[in-house]
Amino acid sequence: MNWLNIFAARLRALRGRESVIHDIDEELRLHVELETEANIERGMPPAEARRAALMSFGNFDGVRDTAYGVRGGGMMETFLQDVRYGVRVLARHKGFTAVAVLTLALGIGANTAIFSVVNELLLRPLPYRDAERIVMLWEVTPEGRRQNTTSRANFRGWREQAKSFEGMAAFSDQRVNLTGSGEPEEISLQLATPELFRVLGAEPLLGRVLADEDGRAGTYGVVLGHGLWKRRFGGDPQIVGKPITLNGTPYNVVGVLPPDFQWHIRQRSGTGRPAEIWAVLAMPPPGTGATERGRFLSVVGRLKPGVSFEQAAAELKTIHARLELESTYNKGYGAEVIPLREQFFGNIRKALWLLLGAVGFVLLIACANVANLLLSRVAAREKEIALRTALGARRVRVIRQLLTESLLLSVLGSLLGLLVAWWGIGALVAISPRELTHLQGVRLNLTVLGWTLGISLLTAVIFGIAPALEATRLNLNDALKEGGKGAEGQGSRSRRLRGALVVAEVALALMLLASAGLLVRSFLRLQKINAGFETENVLTMVLRLPAGKYPEDPQMVAFFRRALERVRALPGVRSAGMVNFLPLYGGLGSATGFHIEGQPAPPPGEGPGASVRVADAGYFKTMGIPLLRGRNFTETEEAEARGVVIVSESLARKYFPDEDPLGKRIKVFMSEEPAWTEIVGIAGDVRYDSLTEEAEPTVYEPHPELTYPFMTLVIRTNGDPEALAPAVRREISALDPDQPVSDVRTMNQVMADTVGRARFNTLLLGLFAGLATLLAAVGIFGVMNYSVTLRTREIGLRMALGAEPGRVLMLVLRQGLLLTLIGIGVGLAGALALTRVMSGLLFGVGATDPATFAAIVLLLAVVSLIACYIPARRATRVDPLVALKYE
Amino acid sequence: MTRQKADLLQGTLDMLILKALSLGPLHGYGVIQRIRQMSGEMLNVEQGSLYPALYRIEQKGWVSSKWELNETGRRAKFYALTRAGARQLRTEEASWDRLVLAIARMRQAT
Repeated sequence: MNWLNIFAARLRALRGRESVIHDIDEELRLHVELETEANIERGMPPAEARRAALMSFGNFDGVRDTAYGVRGGGMMETFLQDVRYGVRVLARHKGFTAVAVLTLALGIGANTAIFSVVNELLLRPLPYRDAERIVMLWEVTPEGRRQNTTSRANFRGWREQAKSFEGMAAFSDQRVNLTGSGEPEEISLQLATPELFRVLGAEPLLGRVLADEDGRAGTYGVVLGHGLWKRRFGGDPQIVGKPITLNGTPYNVVGVLPPDFQWHIRQRSGTGRPAEIWAVLAMPPPGTGATERGRFLSVVGRLKPGVSFEQAAAELKTIHARLELESTYNKGYGAEVIPLREQFFGNIRKALWLLLGAVGFVLLIACANVANLLLSRVAAREKEIALRTALGARRVRVIRQLLTESLLLSVLGSLLGLLVAWWGIGALVAISPRELTHLQGVRLNLTVLGWTLGISLLTAVIFGIAPALEATRLNLNDALKEGGKGAEGQGSRSRRLRGALVVAEVALALMLLASAGLLVRSFLRLQKINAGFETENVLTMVLRLPAGKYPEDPQMVAFFRRALERVRALPGVRSAGMVNFLPLYGGLGSATGFHIEGQPAPPPGEGPGASVRVADAGYFKTMGIPLLRGRNFTETEEAEARGVVIVSESLARKYFPDEDPLGKRIKVFMSEEPAWTEIVGIAGDVRYDSLTEEAEPTVYEPHPELTYPFMTLVIRTNGDPEALAPAVRREISALDPDQPVSDVRTMNQVMADTVGRARFNTLLLGLFAGLATLLAAVGIFGVMNYSVTLRTREIGLRMALGAEPGRVLMLVLRQGLLLTLIGIGVGLAGALALTRVMSGLLFGVGATDPATFAAIVLLLAVVSLIACYIPARRATRVDPLVALKYE
Repeated sequence: MTRQKADLLQGTLDMLILKALSLGPLHGYGVIQRIRQMSGEMLNVEQGSLYPALYRIEQKGWVSSKWELNETGRRAKFYALTRAGARQLRTEEASWDRLVLAIARMRQAT
């Protein structure tokens, strides 16, 4: 109650001094009147009665002022006074204010921008009802590959046996051709069990979500994503019930999803891009053997309330151990549960915290710089402060006033910083990797503004407190005496404080530079990886044939052969070929087991395994994949199945260690009744899944052998590959005007997308480290420059006594470099501790890579040398005569 | 004008004001009058001390104030004892009694 009253009184006081004073005046006036009347009653003449009444008050104004002080006019008004005074001081020293505000704006702006990303990705709830209960369920392969898709039989087993889940849904992405009503278009379809929408807690915008009957032949139903509905159907409100055609099959639209529905699991996605349309995933009845084979399902589940994540994970493991015994296809497979947020952002979380830490460091360096500036100003203001102290201001009062100035600086810095952040967020989104689709929603929201306000208050205290304490520690007598030694007289305390700031700046900058340096080295390594093919001047695009139009395999084979013939005939095309799944395209590939002739037939699900790619002779030539031994596919083998395959080098090494694989026959289990195929060639290894993982053993089959309805064309051009895209499109539509072309990308773009996240991290951390170094350099320069100013007299004296300019130069340089060296020492210790947590972000570089550290130390030393050299040069130009007359 | 007839101990003024208000709400002038009456014309509080003390006490929450019309129809600021003020008055009276008792014992001791 008590503090509430006081606060209320202070607030009232803030409303305006005038009204409070008026209040008091009225009260006191009444008092005088009553006293006067009493005096008159006692028999005094009116005039005298009033005089006596006023007399009894003594000093009327004094009483009023005392009363006002008690009434709480004090604190708030003092604050406003301080603010007004602070504004005047800052306005008078425009240069100082501009530098300080700019420095803070950079620090605070960078912090706000990065925090808004962290907030969006790591702190804000995901856009699903009770999102913390949604988890992904995956298998772990016998080779230890995590987050692997599961089979239909296993999904059924999980769903029927698990008690921890409220619901569970399986889904699988694939591409389909949408035809009718306009241009044919290839879109991403998600086949899902109808529970998906219940598990995610999604409500439709129009119509309904999927139901079991939507999977029955004749009444196929689809749900449209909001984007597709707007783009393709113009947001038609009557869309529900209308038919659409996917891959030549008619479907009925049963509903439309709301605009904020986002659902894309990148891991093992069959398309590598968010689905735009949903249909029911067919689940064959139990007992159908085929459901045990083929792992292509992703599974999402919703935990029952009260069931912990660990319980669910343990239960799934138990169930999966049971399933392992039931089916030979499950031998060696495990299962795992992953919370949704980790699924989305697990791989970028570390990088984001690192970036947030980095901008924190930048802000600290900015604070150190501003503190430095303020300290230098202390000298200039010591007389003012001494005067105030002499006139009776208490130390706390002066500190409060100085802190108010700091606060003003940081608030101005924040305002400008918000501008920096606003611009920075735009830039962040622009350079963000493709996989971070969630970043599109980043805004300056209230949480972010609160954060900015918080850090600006905090920074005001951090950079303001030391100078304020220092300023009020002055010795009154020394300061007031004219000709007292100025700041020189402040002695070593202040100098040590400034020295400590320089050391801290250098140390922080070094830690950032070291982290950034390691990331840059990793990134360079990443780009130098030999993925097994050449990326320059290669254009790629996906063609998917609708099943209705090309029902027989030979028709598809013929179409692609004709398409390639036309493309090869185009001017500017050096070679062309095709493959079913492009290396590093960002989605699922195909893989299976195989059987080597002459070896005992492995039990189903066991035996050697390999990635399977469908390719033609032109693919190897165009991608620059070397044929190490044997021969390429022949024209005849590309036209009809002749029982030949090419295998990769690692497959040959792994499964034919002591013999010549050429001429050996294998059976690849891509179909129910695989035929024997002969190995005719050995190709170089290609990294299909990931740039950083070793290439998997791979089998290449010609198209007639294993016919896919979709293939990716690869075209090597003489000039800019993108310029050729329209011509290729024309050739395709000349062949079939209804045939869509999708994913037109150059191989360089594919590679850039692959390393997108690494580039994002490296770019940002590099930027912040550069900013930190620049600020630290400015800081060192400021301190050294100021130090030279303080020592002008001393330097002048030395020179008058015959000191060479070279010696004077060294004198100043030595001081600066000593501080830098201490900073480097401290920074190295910090960096060694810091970079250790970066291990997951590095590739091919140790967390304590000596070369990187050496380069960083050298860089920082040179920067610091330059920052010291300019003031040192100035010192050598001191004119002894002027310097000695200086005081 | 008669000057103050007994010196006030530091801190006693608050208790006197609270005591005066314990008989009912008063404006500032009335507080001085009542203290004079109640003390048998022995205690005369100066205006210069009264008002700051009143504001201080008000901020502590011991009295509340309100603008009302007085007996002659003029707007005056009336102060009234709050519950916290009544409690405070009891505490201060008790400690005052102890002090008086202690001093009396000291003087009687020979």
